[in-house]
Parts: sequence; structure tokens; C-alpha cells
Amino acid sequence: MKKAAVLFGISLLSLLCGCNISEEPCAKKDFFAMDTYMTLTAYGDNAEAALDRACSEITRLEGLFSVTDKNSDIGRINSSRGQPVEISTDTAKLISRSSKLSEFTDGTLDITVYPLVREWGFTTGNYAVPTDKKINELLGSTGYLNISINDNKVTIPENYQLDLGSVAKGYAGERAAEILKEEGVTSAILSLGGNVQTIGEKPDGTPWRVAVTDPFSPSDTICTLSVIDKAVVTSGNYQRYFVSEDGKKYCHIIDPKTGYPVDNGLASVTVTGDSGTYCDGLSTALFVMGEEKATAFRNEHRDFDMLIITEDGRIIITESLSENVEFTDNTITQKVEVIK
Amino acid sequence: MKKNKMFIIIIAVIFGTALICSLPIWGKPRGNAVNIRSGGELICTIDLSEAEDCEFDIKWGGGVNTIEIKDHMIHVKEADCPDGICIKTGWIGGENGTAPIVCLPNRLVIEPADDTSDGRTR
Repeated sequence: MKKAAVLFGISLLSLLCGCNISEEPCAKKDFFAMDTYMTLTAYGDNAEAALDRACSEITRLEGLFSVTDKNSDIGRINSSRGQPVEISTDTAKLISRSSKLSEFTDGTLDITVYPLVREWGFTTGNYAVPTDKKINELLGSTGYLNISINDNKVTIPENYQLDLGSVAKGYAGERAAEILKEEGVTSAILSLGGNVQTIGEKPDGTPWRVAVTDPFSPSDTICTLSVIDKAVVTSGNYQRYFVSEDGKKYCHIIDPKTGYPVDNGLASVTVTGDSGTYCDGLSTALFVMGEEKATAFRNEHRDFDMLIITEDGRIIITESLSENVEFTDNTITQKVEVIK
Repeated sequence: MKKNKMFIIIIAVIFGTALICSLPIWGKPRGNAVNIRSGGELICTIDLSEAEDCEFDIKWGGGVNTIEIKDHMIHVKEADCPDGICIKTGWIGGENGTAPIVCLPNRLVIEPADDTSDGRTR
């Protein structure tokens, strides 16, 4: 019987050791930055140290891009009164990439709409519908074409204001992913306030499962996307909005051409692709474009995938993404339109 | 007798394997637990399937969120934050919501303790 007990003990130990060995070391960081809640998870022997570096980088970038910090690059540009301002390479690079993306999307993304966002009260919580006169006046202080950037010096006209909110988290996710890769991490998922960046696949070799929030019930999941080494970003009208006295709902995404919050029948746009910055900016731009223009844009540019949810509950999804989506409610599939 | 001993050993190993494989789920509430974080710190984990209806306040940095638990679900009932996104997110718990409730100004997060997804886009 002694022998049996010893054998049993050895079996237990070997099983216990086997369980531990099969699991990759995992490190996780939860923190608030860039006006959002971030969760970074990485696997591998160097995961903890790599995440520390990634967190420091995100905090550093927040210090450069913050629109509320007077001493940040953006804060200094916004108080420059038309004078050139020397800024960091990261800020110069992101302003430059944003401007190119604005051109690429026919001005549906514009980092100069901040004065309008502020007037509508989305930065302070003092929501109010501005007069048409005020909107027209502020539209005169917007336009990405008037941003002048020369090496690391940027100049904007007086009364203009920049806000990198539509691209900053995408860029930060991209930079954090670069750092993790430099540190040898091959498996990680970074969630920067719903702006998701993945590295490789899960340690068990399966794709990452990214839940897409149901715009009609924001505490629920409408579907789950399976992705490997991709960024996943959503823009929608369901989280930051206000309802005016006349009962009309106004969302926080401003159409740079009209100065009004977007109201074009879309509830959300999710974009997946290789670059976090591109996906971040594009999700806003496609949301502003609306269903028809966004679909036409996708026909011309095939370096991303998208999932559009309309206010009337229809879902438009690109073909390759449709092969990697799982809807929470099977009845939804009747409302899905797959585009090539 | 030898055969009998061998049989006992095999049964013991099978039982031991089953026992060990079940270890990771011991001590975890079954699928309806939420973590509440305030100011970046985990302040409690609540198993909603066991929780009774109640209301309580969570304070951080001068801000207050009133949390309500009802019918084994949880939500932010009232908050003094300017945007009210935490209230708009609605109820979570059970099958009725898997997204985290986040109140940025008051640094409050209520999230499912065992979300089946790896990340969430919103």
C-alpha cells in the first residue's frame, strides 16, 4: 500500500507541475490614462518588465497630447496665437499622419474641430445646442488644411485649436505594441479604453476574442471578433451624447463640414487593420461619412475591414471579417449584409 | 491481490486527475461575479448570484457614485460626474450585460470577474 501511496503522490505532483508549465507567464496592468480606462495584458517571460515600459510610454504620450494640459505639446500649440511652436517628434508625426488621413478621407476626420466640440459642451459636460450663427462662426476657425508643419515646428492660425483625441489612443496602442515586441513579447492584448491592439495570437495558439459593444444596449455584446495581430477600434453615438430640451439626441462626434453632431443613421463603426492609428482615425471618418460613402470608401481602399451597425439595426460587414465574427444573438444574422 | 492493488492505484490516479483539474474553478463564484475598482484599486468582488438587493455609495476624490444591486444585477444609479456615461451603460450581471461600467471622472470600474472575451471595443 505504501508503494501505491507513493505512486499516487508522484502522479499528483507531475500533474501539478504539468499544469504550471503549460501556462505562459502572464502580466496585467489596469490604469487610467488619456481620459480612459486601460487594460494591458502580455504573456511571456519578460511580460512584466515589457508592460512597465509600455505603460511609461503611454503616460509619456499623454503628457504630449493632452488637450487640457497647458504645458503639453497640444496645450502649447493651442495657446500659441498663430506663432510657430517647437514640439516633440511624436506629436509632429501624429499631427502629420492625422492631416494625411484627413485628406485621404475627404476631411471627414479633422483634428481642428475642437472649438466646436467644446461649444457643444462635450469637454465640460455643460451641454447646449449652439446657435447656427455661433456654429458658422466657429467653422471659420477650423480646417486641417491650415495646419502648417515643418520638421518639428507647427503653426496654426489664431483661434484655431487642435485635439488629437480621435487618433491619440490608436497611436499610443501602436507605440505600446512596438515596445512590447522590442522586449520579445509575442502574445499580448492592449485595451486602451475600447481601442484594442493585439500582438500575435493567444498563448494557446487561438485568435484573440474581441467583444463589440451593442450600441443599443451598451452593457451588452453584439458580437465577438476573432483577430490575430490586428487593431480593433469602434466609433459610435451611444456612449457620449446628450439629449436636448426638445428630446433630440446629439452625439459627441462632430461632422467637420456642418459643425453639427453626426446624425446619419449610423450607430457604430468598428474598424480592424494593421495600424492602430489608421483604424482609430478611420473609425471616426467612416462614422462621419455614413453608410453609403463608407461603403464606397471601402470599395476603393481594401487595407482594412469594417463592421457598421445602423440605427435601424442592420449590420454591414466586410467579407473577410464576416468569417471571423460570432453574433451573440443568432437572430441578428438575418439583418447582416456582407460586402466584398 | 496484485491486480486489486493495481486497480486501486488506477482509480486513485483518475480521481486525483479529476480533483486537480477542478482546482482552478474552486473558490470562484459561478459566472456572475463583478470586480469593483476605485482609484485603480480592487475594492471588492461581489457574487451577484448570492447578493441581496441593496444600494451603496463609492467615493473617490470628492466624487460619488451610487451603486444599486437588484435582482442579481448591478448598475450605477446616480453619479455626480459630468457625462453620466456610467449611468448610461446600464445594468450588468448574469446574461444581461458583459461590458464594464466605467466612470472616468470618479475613477470607478465595475467589470465582470470572468468575461469570456479577451478585450472589448466600444
